Amino acid sequence: MGVRIGSEKFFDRVDKGINNEFMRKAVVEAQTRLEGRKTKTQEEMGNWEDWRDLSEEIRQHTLDNLDFYLEQFAENVAEQGGHVFFAESAEEANDYITNVVKKKNAKNIIKSKSMVTEEIGMNEALEETGCNVVESDLGEWILQLDDHDPPSHIVVPALHKNKEQIRETFHEKRQYSNSSDPNELALFAREQLRKDFLSAEVGITGCNFAVAESGSVSLVTNEGNARLATTLPETQITVMGMERIVPTWKELDILVSMLCRSAVGQKLTSYITGLTAVKEDGDVDGPEEFHVVIVDNGRSKILGTKYQSALQCIRCAACINVCPVYRHVGGHSYGSIYPGPIGAVLTPLLDGYEDHKELPYASSLCAACTEACPVKIPLHELLVEHRKDIVEKTGKIGFAEKMAMKGYAKAASNPNLYKMGTNMAPSYIKSIAKSEEDGKGKGVGPVKLWTNIRDLPESDGNSFRKWFENRSKGGDQ
Amino acid sequence: MKQGTIHNKDRFLNKVADRLNRKRITEEVQLPTWSKQPQYEVFDGLSQDELLDQFVLQCDAIHTNVIVTEADKLNDDFDKVIQDMGGGSIVHWDDPRFESFGLDSALKKQQEQGTDVHCWNYQLGEANIKKAEQANIGITFSDMTLTESGTVVLFSDKGKGRSVSLLPQRYVAIIPKSTLVPRMTQAAEKIHEIAKEQGRMPSCINFISGPSNSADIELRLVVGVHGPVQATYIVVDDK
Amino acid sequence: MKVSLFLTCLADVVYPASVGQSTVEVLERLGCEVDFPKKQTCCGQPAFNSGFHRESKEVAQHMIKTFEHAEYVVSPSGSCVSMLKEYPHLFADDPDWADRASQLADKSYELTQFIVEVLKVEDVGAELEANVTYHTSCHMTRLLGVRDAPMKLLANVKGLKFTELPNKQQCCGFGGTFSVKMVPISEQMVNEKVEHIEETNADVLIGADLGCLMNIGGRIERQGKPVKVMHIAEVLNSQGS
Repeated sequence: MGVRIGSEKFFDRVDKGINNEFMRKAVVEAQTRLEGRKTKTQEEMGNWEDWRDLSEEIRQHTLDNLDFYLEQFAENVAEQGGHVFFAESAEEANDYITNVVKKKNAKNIIKSKSMVTEEIGMNEALEETGCNVVESDLGEWILQLDDHDPPSHIVVPALHKNKEQIRETFHEKRQYSNSSDPNELALFAREQLRKDFLSAEVGITGCNFAVAESGSVSLVTNEGNARLATTLPETQITVMGMERIVPTWKELDILVSMLCRSAVGQKLTSYITGLTAVKEDGDVDGPEEFHVVIVDNGRSKILGTKYQSALQCIRCAACINVCPVYRHVGGHSYGSIYPGPIGAVLTPLLDGYEDHKELPYASSLCAACTEACPVKIPLHELLVEHRKDIVEKTGKIGFAEKMAMKGYAKAASNPNLYKMGTNMAPSYIKSIAKSEEDGKGKGVGPVKLWTNIRDLPESDGNSFRKWFENRSKGGDQ
Repeated sequence: MKQGTIHNKDRFLNKVADRLNRKRITEEVQLPTWSKQPQYEVFDGLSQDELLDQFVLQCDAIHTNVIVTEADKLNDDFDKVIQDMGGGSIVHWDDPRFESFGLDSALKKQQEQGTDVHCWNYQLGEANIKKAEQANIGITFSDMTLTESGTVVLFSDKGKGRSVSLLPQRYVAIIPKSTLVPRMTQAAEKIHEIAKEQGRMPSCINFISGPSNSADIELRLVVGVHGPVQATYIVVDDK
Repeated sequence: MKVSLFLTCLADVVYPASVGQSTVEVLERLGCEVDFPKKQTCCGQPAFNSGFHRESKEVAQHMIKTFEHAEYVVSPSGSCVSMLKEYPHLFADDPDWADRASQLADKSYELTQFIVEVLKVEDVGAELEANVTYHTSCHMTRLLGVRDAPMKLLANVKGLKFTELPNKQQCCGFGGTFSVKMVPISEQMVNEKVEHIEETNADVLIGADLGCLMNIGGRIERQGKPVKVMHIAEVLNSQGS
């Protein structure tokens, strides 16, 4: 799939989102519920800010020493019989993974939810070699059955679908004939997927956090699918973004606690699984062969830059759950597998500005994201940094805007020019303040865009200055 | 055990170091003392009884039945739980604690009543997984129990198959009260000690908090997806 | 106490005199001597948030010079004050200007913040008979960290019947240039805000940031809803009828 989803233009996607009534209702409900649950656990903790400070410190320290911790992790994995592959690009990662699968003569692959495998387009690569790849996370499975509909949320991927649509998909693709009750739908998925779990030769997972000191990978789920994918198949392949690592189990404790609370408002999800390489002598279940693929795919470009804090992300979606823009346009509008504020920051970093130049502007800079982030990524500030780079480095700014900003700066740093403006503006504003009957805006440029949907206040001509001057001369109003 | 392999490491890590504007780190990195450590404040100073009260409250929030019992009533309560779950077939760990808590006789009784009882036996290999897959009830002990989140922690071992807590329809965890600790912090510290010792980590450490569930369809909670659809904890006083 | 008023460009150019007038009168009633540096312009936020940092530095330097003499700078806008607080970061690579920027940042206050935190006053003796609700603007609460001051002051205005705005933490969709760059999204956001305002049955929407008020008020006007928009300075300056 890659980072980018689809080829539609940004404003077309936004239009589609705004007009998708079901999706918008679902998003509002989801935000209300998820954010409410997060706030509740935060309040219960009482010292949420201390937890955030600690989490931020851990993430910063780990990133600053990333080469050390990755090396320690790799050595510990290998010592306990696992194989480690460092992949600089998506192609390298996919080549390695398809080779492992080929060597095992495997055809059936069961997957648990993983954003990084979507990012590198791993499923497509495996399918091209003739493998059958089955997503086992309920949400991901629904999307896969529905002709690979892209995810719209990083924690609840099928958020944009309602139960009737899901029932329809199950019926059409798997002859499902029961009701649209989520319990029945989930039961059906359980039965269908159990067969896939039992027949899979290879299980592929993502990785919430790797632990350097022990060579372990941890998986955080509620459904139990990641456990199945790592218990039954003979071979396990874990794919991780290179930043998803902690020094020791003590730091794992903190970040897992923050992830569960921030993502779904749970103290811990039903299953937190810590897996260390291959099964031990005498173990019946667990993989005989274990591979971990550590993926760069553009991440190292972010290290050492002003954007480094974006790599602190633990993929909890807390920023998405409070974002007023996401609320109204939904996940698909971002055109990226990473939607919402973190998506608007990360997507241009991983995939360039060319296809994503609107994303940094798709924010009112309200800072709800920054406030929500459990690892204190200053998301709205990073969006401003993007805008700065777009202005200063890419030249992707229209001539009119450039001139307007230059003009603004001249006027706002020169009292005489500013005065001219303040003398002229009020009568101009007055002339266009109210729209015409047809509801179309008046004026030109940004003023017209403003008055497209709103009136302007009726100014009465830089009156404050006159009033103040008059007073200081002793006159009374 | 055969040593695994590492590919492409130096090129990759040199680039990382380069981006961080420095040379590769060769000395061991010392962890800093974090400026805030709120994790130790949670349930600090609570007695085992107070922890238990909190634990029971949390279990309610995670859709998990919890039964608190004494050593001499354990067998009766165990019988009741099995009955409530519909009996049928049981798979359980090969764990000396079944005997030391006297549950071996309860299991024997179940067998006599016609329940298919299977004790995990690594020498039987794959057959264990089939048994677990077909079982109605999986039973394990808890190695450590986290009050805050209502979590049982299971360390895998050859007698302690991962499948027992995963594949059956229903799951029962026997929790010796002495295993209760405030939160994940204490478990993480113990695992940290294990990792620091030379040798092999347990290949799988599971933190289980109640039955499996999902909210992937319209954000409505469905209890029981890929793992057990029902979970019961039996806390037994082992002072 | 000597106070220099930073009126903000919206209050200066776009809005009628009453916001500035009320700010001055409330401060004077509380014993302040108010000065209005005539060379003041805009905080520079439009350029800053659009990524034109070189341009916003020009504006910032002008503002720093304009208010260098001031003992306190007080402004009827949480957002603009949060921009003044951004100046030291803006000049991070220029120690001389960074130092001057810090001095300005340190002595700048949003109006209600100044009244409550510096003047230590929570009752300004105002009176207004009205059903009201209050819009907490994002920059004032999240960037400046001023949450309680306006609430404390409003609680002591005689005659106010206050209903809390549902989803008050949600952005109204202004966001400076966002409101014209992303019109369809901004429209949805302000529509939702107006709906919540209607749910309160308030006759008056109060706010402490003219950007938000211009956006919400402009939408309310366009939709012909019977809700009046007032800046908090105007409310605090009300003396009953």
